[in-house]
Amino acid sequence: MELSSDAGKWLDAHYDPVAGLYTFSPCMDLADLNGDGENRLLVGDLGSGSLGMKLKVYRGTALSSESALLDLPTGLVSFFMDLHEPRVPAVAVASGPCVYIYKNLRPYFKFTLPGLDVNSLEQDVWQQAREGQIDPLSLKEMLESIRNKADVPLSVRSLSFLSLEPSEMDEFVQLHKQQPVKRQTVITCIQTLKKSTSDDDGVSCLVIGTESCHVYVLDPEAFIILSKMVLPSAPTMMNVTGQYDVEFRVTVACRNGSIYVLRRESEKPKYCIELSSHPVGLVRVGKNLVVGGNDESLHGFTQKGKKLWKISLPAPITTMATMDLPTRGFQAVLVGLANCEVHLYRDKNLLSTIRTPDAVTSICFGRYGREDGTLIMATKGGGLLVKILKRTAAFEDKDSTPGPPLTQSVRLNTHKKTKLYVDQMMRERESGTVMHRAFQMDLSRLRLATAKAYLKALESSLTPMSSSLSEPLKMNAVVQGLGPSFNCSFHHTGLSLVTKEEHWLL
Amino acid sequence: MGLFDKLAGWLGLKKEVNVLCLGLDNSGKTTIINRLKPSNAQAQDIVPTIGFSIEKFKTSSLSFTVFDMSGQGRYRNLWEHYYKEGQAIIFVIDSADKLRMVVAKEELDTLLNHPDIKHRRIPILFFANKMDVRDALSSVKVSQLLCLENIKDKPWHICATDALKGEGLQEGVDWLQDQMTQSNQNNQNMRS
Repeated sequence: MELSSDAGKWLDAHYDPVAGLYTFSPCMDLADLNGDGENRLLVGDLGSGSLGMKLKVYRGTALSSESALLDLPTGLVSFFMDLHEPRVPAVAVASGPCVYIYKNLRPYFKFTLPGLDVNSLEQDVWQQAREGQIDPLSLKEMLESIRNKADVPLSVRSLSFLSLEPSEMDEFVQLHKQQPVKRQTVITCIQTLKKSTSDDDGVSCLVIGTESCHVYVLDPEAFIILSKMVLPSAPTMMNVTGQYDVEFRVTVACRNGSIYVLRRESEKPKYCIELSSHPVGLVRVGKNLVVGGNDESLHGFTQKGKKLWKISLPAPITTMATMDLPTRGFQAVLVGLANCEVHLYRDKNLLSTIRTPDAVTSICFGRYGREDGTLIMATKGGGLLVKILKRTAAFEDKDSTPGPPLTQSVRLNTHKKTKLYVDQMMRERESGTVMHRAFQMDLSRLRLATAKAYLKALESSLTPMSSSLSEPLKMNAVVQGLGPSFNCSFHHTGLSLVTKEEHWLL
Repeated sequence: MGLFDKLAGWLGLKKEVNVLCLGLDNSGKTTIINRLKPSNAQAQDIVPTIGFSIEKFKTSSLSFTVFDMSGQGRYRNLWEHYYKEGQAIIFVIDSADKLRMVVAKEELDTLLNHPDIKHRRIPILFFANKMDVRDALSSVKVSQLLCLENIKDKPWHICATDALKGEGLQEGVDWLQDQMTQSNQNNQNMRS
């Protein structure tokens, strides 16, 4: 397959192979944090191992601020939470069971998901441990039996207790036994949903997907739960569109390999798309969904779940993002692949291929600094790559799949309609019945003449018929042409196996 | 100088020169032009230019008419329509915007390869603006990043400027004035 090169379309603005940026697409966002018309890059850095989780802010090519995060971030979004001037967005970082809200890059609010029901047996066991009735070893045995039998899963505390070495157990019990047992779920994905207007700086609600198979919509100012929806499986990726007060759609890719579409005023999913492979990327382009499968394929669906197309990719997908350029009315999908390439697709057509020095794990496209078409990528090795779309870049919609050849749609150079042709057509239209009658009359006369000739032949013993059935005589008459002159050909097939052809020009 | 020019100089009639002021958005084009105007004609608030605006200012021997073009992406395709009229180009660069230096280079290359510019010996004055910003690049670094040494067939000059304070502007304009009077003389020599 011919690859359209990327050099003519993208400018290499910045590449820092040792930026130390370990992140994935849901943890990247662009926002005008200072209200000065210059967008900053916000990154929830996963750090390495369990250390070094950070909220990083880039301005241009340089890191402008970083602050430590308490837990691994699972998602980062910027959103407007109020109408106060100056209009600066807040930043929400989801990690563990909490959403941390930052305003002006300072911690502002912490929202914690409501706790889940705790197993009553587990609660009793910990109660006994607190009162000193059981020692850590028997506590472990009892918790293990609860874990195996009960339908309500154990709390995180009990699970981490069970994973300890016997020597560490006593200390753990002493440290934790005074606190009540709580069971918390964790956030798996976070997105924003405009509250009542579709303006770019409209107030947005947070939409949160949790491990407990719920989707919550939070009020942007009070952080109370406005709406709660239930899914059949734990969500992994989410796409939200619409406005909370009007109509919205939450499209969720779940861990059971299906995609569900939730709508306003329905607690249960409205549509379900069952995929042949697990989804690894979910983006929306206009009204359609583009889903990346882990079998190196890309699927297009309508928002009601009707399948539109499927293409296969040369390598596994690492990440996906939408490329939206409203100033040019351009929308496409960026797909990061494990073979160090980023493909740009509009529908199923490959528009451009960008080669990267390292496999890309995170893609973000939008306005960065003062430049509208900026593509920001974080690589597997922790590098930061910034490319800018050229002002003059134009993407050709070339269909890469085999189909009807282009020449099929080229119009043939046919003659123009002559005056004679038009006159004839007019005549046919006006006196169609008369012409038909004349034709029928002539046809009847022809038949009569043929029958007379045949009879005459019979009467004068010319034997116009084949004498035996095994040696038939066949005649085939073909009239060619539209008139006024015709070409009439007769094919005689006789017993002598010689075909006679006669052409009569009438 | 010819006799007529001398006469024109005595009468206060100065030679008119059309200059194009180009550069990315937010690089400081309008601020620079505003600074070059007489102090009583200067505007207090500078807002992003839409389309373009025409400004006039005078130096000791020349009268400049400046086409202050908008640098916003969607208006940059207007630039080329004015290349024919321009007798000199002022190209302004935001030295603090390292990220968009490639975009500035791209626009400069497009400009230099345009048929209306390519074969003319037209002087180009570069202003490496915003020198007051803390992490701004030096004018040497800017000329390296824009590969200015590759411009062989046109006179060019780069100045480090701070348009807010007006530093470095006069040096650039003096150079431009020299270039323009020189080329005038050359033309006259060729004619005579």
